[in-house]
Amino acid sequence: MSDAKAGRSGPTTSTYALIPKPANLQCMDLQEYLRTRTPETLEKLYNYPTICLAVYRELPEIARQFVIRILFVEQPVPQAVVASWGSQHYAKEQAASASCLTELNVWRVTAIPGGLSAWELCSTFKKNLKIALLGGGKPWSMSHTLEKDSKPRDIAFLDTYAMARWRCVLHYMVGTGSSNKTQDSEGISPDAVRILLHANLMKRDERDGITITRQGFQFLLLDTQSQVWHFMLQYLDTCEERGLSLPDCLSMLFQLSFSTLGRDYSSEGMSAKMLTFLQHLREFGLVFQRKRKEGRFYPTRLALNVTNKHATVPAIINEEDKVQESGYIVVETNYRVYAYTDSPLQVAVLGLFTELLYRFPNLVVGVLTRDSVRQALRGGITAEQIVSYLEQYAHPNMKLTESAIKSKSPLPPTVVDQIKLWELERNRFTYTEGVVYNQFLSQADFVTLRDYAQSINVLVHMNERTRTMVVTKNGHDDVKRFWKRYSKGGG
Amino acid sequence: MNNKSQDHDSNKFSLLVIVLDTNPSQRIVRQNPQLLTQFLDAIIAFGNAHLMQCSQNKLAVLSCHHHATDFLYPMPGKQLDVRQVDGQYEVFSLVEKTVKQRLSHIITNAPKLNAPCESILAGSMAMALCYISRIQRNAAAGVKMHSRILVVTGSNECASQYMTYMNVFFTAQKLGITIDVCALDKTMSLLQQGCDITGGQYLRLTQLDGLLQYLLWVFLPDPQMRQKLVLPPATKVDYRAACFCHRELIDIGYVCSVCLSIFCKFSPICTTCHTVFKIPGPIPGKPKKKKKV
Repeated sequence: MSDAKAGRSGPTTSTYALIPKPANLQCMDLQEYLRTRTPETLEKLYNYPTICLAVYRELPEIARQFVIRILFVEQPVPQAVVASWGSQHYAKEQAASASCLTELNVWRVTAIPGGLSAWELCSTFKKNLKIALLGGGKPWSMSHTLEKDSKPRDIAFLDTYAMARWRCVLHYMVGTGSSNKTQDSEGISPDAVRILLHANLMKRDERDGITITRQGFQFLLLDTQSQVWHFMLQYLDTCEERGLSLPDCLSMLFQLSFSTLGRDYSSEGMSAKMLTFLQHLREFGLVFQRKRKEGRFYPTRLALNVTNKHATVPAIINEEDKVQESGYIVVETNYRVYAYTDSPLQVAVLGLFTELLYRFPNLVVGVLTRDSVRQALRGGITAEQIVSYLEQYAHPNMKLTESAIKSKSPLPPTVVDQIKLWELERNRFTYTEGVVYNQFLSQADFVTLRDYAQSINVLVHMNERTRTMVVTKNGHDDVKRFWKRYSKGGG
Repeated sequence: MNNKSQDHDSNKFSLLVIVLDTNPSQRIVRQNPQLLTQFLDAIIAFGNAHLMQCSQNKLAVLSCHHHATDFLYPMPGKQLDVRQVDGQYEVFSLVEKTVKQRLSHIITNAPKLNAPCESILAGSMAMALCYISRIQRNAAAGVKMHSRILVVTGSNECASQYMTYMNVFFTAQKLGITIDVCALDKTMSLLQQGCDITGGQYLRLTQLDGLLQYLLWVFLPDPQMRQKLVLPPATKVDYRAACFCHRELIDIGYVCSVCLSIFCKFSPICTTCHTVFKIPGPIPGKPKKKKKV
């Protein structure tokens, strides 16, 4: 029997390739984005006080405290001293903060006399953060004095303008822009289309038309602020090939983000390239400018606090400026969804995961069903995205309802849970790549090989009756080698 | 990852109200008037550092004079129209300009002082509480707000405001507002009680040079953040009360059995609730033995 075995290669093996998981939309925040840059780029970026300020705000809480503590210290601070600032119970969080600071090149290790290693803030970062905090240095590029605008624009106007511009882009994506050109869409420029294609939010299909991708659908479900940020990141990716410098663009973007809403700024003294950038921002609705040539522009809410999605909603409602109502969706515990809207875009997005029942001039009624949600899940939308979309556009009255269950979400907990359960029930399979071993000639061979595979933790599945076993792909080489040794020794 | 999403998802902001003692009769200011300018710079930088932490953070600065309390920032009514002149963030410039302009206005318009006069700190703190509660009321639904008060003072202990202090402290405690105190000169045992009651930090500076650095180290972190850092440990708090008759701190005194007012000397009628007490006779000797039944 062993002779017969030695001649053959033993149990036959076959490999099964993993079904590729469809790519989902990857949204980076500022920190993640900066981590993908080279240290040289970071150094260049830190030459702008605005960028330093934005980076500082995005740091973890402990890191922010560390930076401010050593901001005014003129010499490197020993690592042991910094470590002693945090409480022992939070050592892990502290280590994470320290490594984050290192990765972003905000501080670096230096040696100090006595053989100790110490932290030292990056000098450019330090200098420019101090400028942002305390003053000094050159003014930001858009703060030239202007005479008073004869027709100043108020905040309500800017909000409407910005949203109309931004919706143009979204409308274009869902293809509703073409059907009602009269409303607010004037189409979008080839530049914007190029960015959408680059970002993989849309793709060219066979008939050379442009259709939305699954990432595009996920993009639609994001809140406006995240959309703008994601879109701008994609824009920045392509800015080098347009001949724009990344630090200039990024600093411009953050200048806008730190500007005051409802105030006009001057574009005087900007280079021609920056003026082009400004025109692009104008197209997407991040700034308002009356005429292309006018040296005055107003930043809109889209540009403000571009990295922080909570900052757009004013935390304090002043009596004088009424916030525009953004929520229009009411979700009931019986899974009914009422959307007070007449925008085809919003209806289209809602239709992705609800079954629409009725349409009235200003109201759409739908119901969340297992089928409709599974339809969306199959399309690559996650439960998390559905829930966050509903939360984000929840009608203000939804936030006021008192519920017996304390939850942060304005939605009924049953609905949230059910949507998540519907997603979970699709996740019954976990895919593992593996190699099958079968057609063992004897039980003993099978048992030996199985025990070995088990002992090195690579066994995925085995069936003693059919003498079949599956090992992970990584373990295959080991098991194969073992089998060769074993069958030789045995023979 | 989990941690980070928590950080970002919780929609919250923090409001810091700084109560700055600007009374010219403070000993340290009388000795060296330049100090007030230095303090002011430190306070402004500290306030801006608070605003820098997060874009939603709010700041208010109150000046506590000997005769009145005024808002230094935000300016009551319309804000100044400040344009950027250097690399400083516009919002920070606005804070700096407003505070300086308001304070010079207050100081030039203050009535002349003949004798040193104590600061009405308790009143200023009450005003800070009112401001916080107004902002709280206007906060948008679903937004969590954390507020705290920082008192920076070089005044002496003023036991005469004992009642107001206690009202302020317990109100703050009830509203969940932390009171921090930075004493620049004398030990302030009453304010120290307030810190202890509301869970704030009390710090008495021994040298005034590094005021900003002290402020940034001890008072910049949010109360939620403080447990993650090592901060000066709480010292023993002097919990003596001030008597209601002479406003002096006492160890042992008389307490009204009806309204719990404290007196250093016995008085037959409680001045607060007008209860009449029996005059205690001479301390009785041994109680007479009961008659046997």
